[in-house]
Amino acid sequence: MALAAPAVVRSQGRPTLAFRGDAGLVWVRSDSAPAGVGGAGPVRIRGPVLGGEGRLVFSQFAVGVGLLSGTLQNADQTVKRDLIEGRLLVAARPVPWLEMSVGPFVRAYVTDSSTERWVFWQARARVDAPIVTASLTSYVELWRALSSQVNLVGGAGRVQGGEAGVVYRPPQRPYVLRLAYRVDDAVVRAVGSGSETLEAITLAVTVGGW
Amino acid sequence: MTRATVCLALSLLLGGARVLRAQSQSASDLLGRGVRHYQALEYDAAAALLEQSLGRDSAAALADSLRARALSYLAATELFRGQRDSAVAAFRQLVLLNPHYRPDELIFPPQVTNLFQEVRRATRAIAVAVPPVTELRPRLERFFTARVLASSLADVAVTLAQEDGTPVRELYNGPVADSVVVTWDGRTAAGALAENGRYVLRVAPRSPTPDGPRARQVLLEVKQEPPDTLPWPPDLTTPTLLPERTSGAPAFRSLAAGLVVGAAAVALPSLLARGKDATGARFAVGAAVGISGFVGFFARKPRPLEANVRANASLRETWKKKLEAVRTENATRLRSIRLVVRAGPETIAERGSP
Repeated sequence: MALAAPAVVRSQGRPTLAFRGDAGLVWVRSDSAPAGVGGAGPVRIRGPVLGGEGRLVFSQFAVGVGLLSGTLQNADQTVKRDLIEGRLLVAARPVPWLEMSVGPFVRAYVTDSSTERWVFWQARARVDAPIVTASLTSYVELWRALSSQVNLVGGAGRVQGGEAGVVYRPPQRPYVLRLAYRVDDAVVRAVGSGSETLEAITLAVTVGGW
Repeated sequence: MTRATVCLALSLLLGGARVLRAQSQSASDLLGRGVRHYQALEYDAAAALLEQSLGRDSAAALADSLRARALSYLAATELFRGQRDSAVAAFRQLVLLNPHYRPDELIFPPQVTNLFQEVRRATRAIAVAVPPVTELRPRLERFFTARVLASSLADVAVTLAQEDGTPVRELYNGPVADSVVVTWDGRTAAGALAENGRYVLRVAPRSPTPDGPRARQVLLEVKQEPPDTLPWPPDLTTPTLLPERTSGAPAFRSLAAGLVVGAAAVALPSLLARGKDATGARFAVGAAVGISGFVGFFARKPRPLEANVRANASLRETWKKKLEAVRTENATRLRSIRLVVRAGPETIAERGSP
């Protein structure tokens, strides 16, 4: 892990900016039977998403804001939801191969008639594992909600997720490419152990440090 | 107390003091005084002093060269005193002492030298003279030398044997008219270098007869003194040698990282969303990460470091040359082994001894 140190080149003086653009596909499996969203039973919807994140990096610390949005449908296009995610984060890198962050996260499924909104505070930990120093790195990130709210009957239960991927830094190029797989699982209380599971595969381009 | 008694006592005291003074004088002083009395034609006094100088015990004895001189003067003195037999006896001792010695014809008149020649011809004697210490360097042809002397023509054999009589080598076998120099290169008859030990150098007539010359021998103590050799150069090992291949650890770390993270991507739904039907997207990312691990493995697999290989080849070549130089130098030094030969006094060999 210590070999990751040369790969993470950071400004030691003034803060730097980093931007990331995401494009991907999202799959949502919901058996929480939200009111007014299409009746009972599991719902499987999917669709493309676009997103982005900006970070202001102060040496070993960073603050950031991220947004992701897309329209999800089921296979026969009878169910349609807009997915919107937003988050704020404060991150720190105590060691070059470990990033820890915390911040509020909002996820909303919007239909013509209603909006299902999840709000929770996330604590995240990410471990980098270099494959080829300074050019190819893999990582695993796990997170869990410290507190959560949802505007569903019964309220939010345990919310957790994880992400794994690979980051490629082309030589002599100012950008970084990332391929990632993410899964989030949110349990809804008092609805017969219902839950919503979100999977996403994203390809991202990052410009800037960290 | 009469006057005669007093004179006798004084004479005894003076005579006794003179005797004591003579005894306290060294043999060489006695020889010098004897020669002066001879030159002053005071033959009786000369004979007494010369006999005294020759009769000293071993601690104060004359060296062989001075002993030969004393015998020469004693023989001449006895001849002029009319004691021809005593003169012959003195000359005979002289010949036996040093068969090569000749009285100086500028000092002694012809009747003296003629008598000596007569005695020399009648007295058959051989002797051997060796340096007290000799350093043999066989490779440099610095040999041990022994000078064999004969009072008259004699057939002799010069042999070297171990102290217990085991023959080592015959150094000379032939006639000696006056003297002959015999050399020894420090080797045995088989050509090997003589081992450390005590040896006997023996000069003996080839055909011993009861009235022939007595064999002479000298005890030699031989010691090998090998030369100092150079130490071997230290072996070539790391860190002297540079690594010739990159380490394999980074390659395996890359592979492990890719496989572990790829497996994590595949396993995430099972760990975090247990019991849910996950899509196949995770396999795509897991495979991509796993393939990245293999890419990293092959990108960082051990490969030769050509510059280090060349540098090490040069180091090895230099080391081999150094090793060869040390080997050659040591072989040269070992060939130049020294033999130190310390000689004891010349003695008369027992009859029948080897």
